Amino acid sequence: MTIIKKFEPEQPKNNFPKKYIALVVGVLFVLTLTQIWVSNIVIMYGEKFDKLAILQKSLLTQNQILKNEIAKDASLSNISSKSGQLGFSNNISIEYIR
Amino acid sequence: MRIFWIKCFFAIFFIAIFARLFYWQIVKADYLQIQAEDQHFTDVKIEASRGNIFFSDGSILASSNPSFLLFGQPKLLTKEQTVNTAYSLAKLLVPPDREVSDLAKEFINKLSQDLFWVVLEKQITPEKKQEIEDLKLPGIGFEQGSSRFYPEGSSSAHILGFVGSDSKSESRGYFGVEGYYDGELKGVAGLLRHEKDASGLPILIGNFFNTDAKNGKDLSLNIDRSVQFIVEQSLKAGIEKYGAKSASAVVMDPKTGAVLALAAYPNYDPGNYTKYPKEYFKDPVVADTYEPGSTFKVLVISAALNEKVVTPETTCDACVGPVSVGGYDLRTWDNKYFPNTSMTDVIIHSDNTGMVFAGKKLGSDKLYNYIENFGFGQASNIDLQDAADTTIRPKTDWREIDLATASFGQGIAVTPIQMVTAVSAIANGGNLMEPHVVKQIKDGNSTFEIKPKVIRPVISPDTAKVITEMMVQAVDKGEASWYKEHGGVANFKIAGKTGTAQIPVAGHYDSTKTIASFVGFAPADDPKFVILVRYDQPTASIFGAETAAPTFFEIAKQLFNYYKIVPTE
Repeated sequence: MTIIKKFEPEQPKNNFPKKYIALVVGVLFVLTLTQIWVSNIVIMYGEKFDKLAILQKSLLTQNQILKNEIAKDASLSNISSKSGQLGFSNNISIEYIR
Repeated sequence: MRIFWIKCFFAIFFIAIFARLFYWQIVKADYLQIQAEDQHFTDVKIEASRGNIFFSDGSILASSNPSFLLFGQPKLLTKEQTVNTAYSLAKLLVPPDREVSDLAKEFINKLSQDLFWVVLEKQITPEKKQEIEDLKLPGIGFEQGSSRFYPEGSSSAHILGFVGSDSKSESRGYFGVEGYYDGELKGVAGLLRHEKDASGLPILIGNFFNTDAKNGKDLSLNIDRSVQFIVEQSLKAGIEKYGAKSASAVVMDPKTGAVLALAAYPNYDPGNYTKYPKEYFKDPVVADTYEPGSTFKVLVISAALNEKVVTPETTCDACVGPVSVGGYDLRTWDNKYFPNTSMTDVIIHSDNTGMVFAGKKLGSDKLYNYIENFGFGQASNIDLQDAADTTIRPKTDWREIDLATASFGQGIAVTPIQMVTAVSAIANGGNLMEPHVVKQIKDGNSTFEIKPKVIRPVISPDTAKVITEMMVQAVDKGEASWYKEHGGVANFKIAGKTGTAQIPVAGHYDSTKTIASFVGFAPADDPKFVILVRYDQPTASIFGAETAAPTFFEIAKQLFNYYKIVPTE
C-alpha cells in the first residue's frame, strides 16, 4: 500500500483569533448594556434620594423639637411652678447643727 | 444656470449655519453655558444652625427651634379660592386679641396682590404647619427657617439679648451675649449644587458640588442657673416690696471675675422682644451709669490704707460738724457727727466728713490714680454688648470739692459691673479681675476656654484684709445690722457696705430720689461670691440699708445653703 502524502502550502497563523475579538466585543457590549441599565436605574433613585433627604430633615427637626421640649420641662421656672403646685416651698429657717 | 443658483443657495445656507453656530459656540458661549447650568443645576442654600448657649451646668439657656414661613401664590388662586384659603388660615392662625374676620381680610388683601409670591405669616410652629397642611389648601406653601428658643423664658434676658434681623433680613444677635458673640454663634451657610432632571429631582450620577454649612459655635456661660434663679426671685420680690422704678443685681466670683448671675427689672422675653419697649433691652448692669454713693467709701479708704496715710484707728479731727469745702457745706447723711471718730467708725457710720478727711490725706493725685486702677473711667471689657464706656473728668479739671465729694461716692459715675469688679479686688486680696460671662466657646470637638485674667494688682493683700475687717464691722454694727441679725445670716461673716446716692436732676440733687445699693461679699475670710444689689428710686424707703441690704442678705442666705457654706460665728 502506498501512502501518498499531499503537501500543501501552510497557511500563516493568525495572531489575533477571531473568537477573542468576538469575546472582547461581546464583553464590551455587555458592559455597555450594563452601564446603560445601571444609569437608568440610578437615575430613577433621584426620587428616593429626595425622599430620604426630606425624611432626614424631618427627623432632625423632630429631634430638635424634642430636645427643646425637654429643656422647657427641665427649666427652673417650670420646676419651681410644678413644685409649688405639689406643695413644696422655700426653706424659711435653716438650722445648722454643729 | 439652475445648478449654479442651487450651489449658491447651498453655499449661502451653509455659511448662514456656520455663522449662527459661530455666534452660539464662540460669541455667546459663556452666556449660554451659564443659562444651561441654571437649567440643569439647582442650588440649595444650607442654613447654618445658630450655636446654643448653655448655663455652667450644661442646661440649655438658648437654642434654635424649627419654625416655618407661610407664603401664598396669588397667581394660582381664583377669587373664590382666595376667600376660602384666607378664612381657613385665619381660623387657625388668629391670635387671642384679634377677630378671625380681621385676619382673613388681611390675608385676602395679600393674596389679591399682583404678585407671584407673598409672605402670609412668619414663625409658624411645626404643629400649626401640620394643621394647615391637613386642610390641603391651594396656592400656599411653607419655607423652613428657625427661631430662637429660650426655655427659661424671660430669665437671663439681659445676659442673653435677643436675635432679630438686620437690614438684609439675615438673623443677627442684639444686646447681651447674642450681640457680643454674634460672629461666633451665627456660623456660615453652605451650598449644595446638583444636577436635576426635568421634574426637578436630583440626578445621582450627575455633577454634584457641596460646600458644607459651618454651624455656629456653642457658648458655655459662667452663669449658674440656680444662683441666677435665686437672684431673680429675690430681686423680683424686692422691686415689688420697695416700690422701686427699676432694680438690678449681679453676683461675681471674686477669684476669677466670673459673672455667676446677673438680673435686672423690668426685663423682657427675648423670644417675644417685639412686644416690649426698647428701653428694656439695655442691660443696666453694664450700660447704666450712676453715682455709687457710700459703697464707694470702701474703695477710697482701701486706697488710703494702701498708701498708709491712715490706719483703721486713725482719728478724724475734722468730724465735729459739717465740713466746708470750696464754699459748700458737706454734711453726714443723718446730720449726726462723731468727734475724733476712727476710720473704722467712719465706715460703720458711713460718715461723709470722715471720708473728706481721708480723701484729703490721700490727695487728689493718688485718689485719681486709685479710681483708675480700680477700673473706673475705662471699659470693663465684659463680654456683653452695649457696655457703657464711662469717663472721669481729667485730673487737671478736678477742684477741691470734686476730691471731697468723690471720697464719699458723689460726683463720679460708675457702672454696676465696674463697682462689683472693684469690690471683688478687695475680696480676692487686691487683684482687679476682668469680668466674664462666657466660660467656654465650643466648636465641634475643640473647646476654647476663657481663662481668668488679672488686669492689675490694685491694693496689697494686707490692705485687703484690713478693709475687709472694716466692712465686716460695717455690716455687724452699721445701719444694716438689724437686717443681718433678722435675715437668717446672723452667724455668717459678711463684709459689705450700704449706699444711698442722691440722683442729680437738672443740676441739683433731689433728696427724695435715690439709688439705694448694697455691695458685699461672703464668707469674708474666703469669699465665694460678691453681690451688688441696686434699686433705682425705691419708694418704701430711700435708704440702701432698708432696701438693698435686706435683698442682699436674702440672696446671701440662699447662696450659703446652695454652696453648703456653714456659719462661722
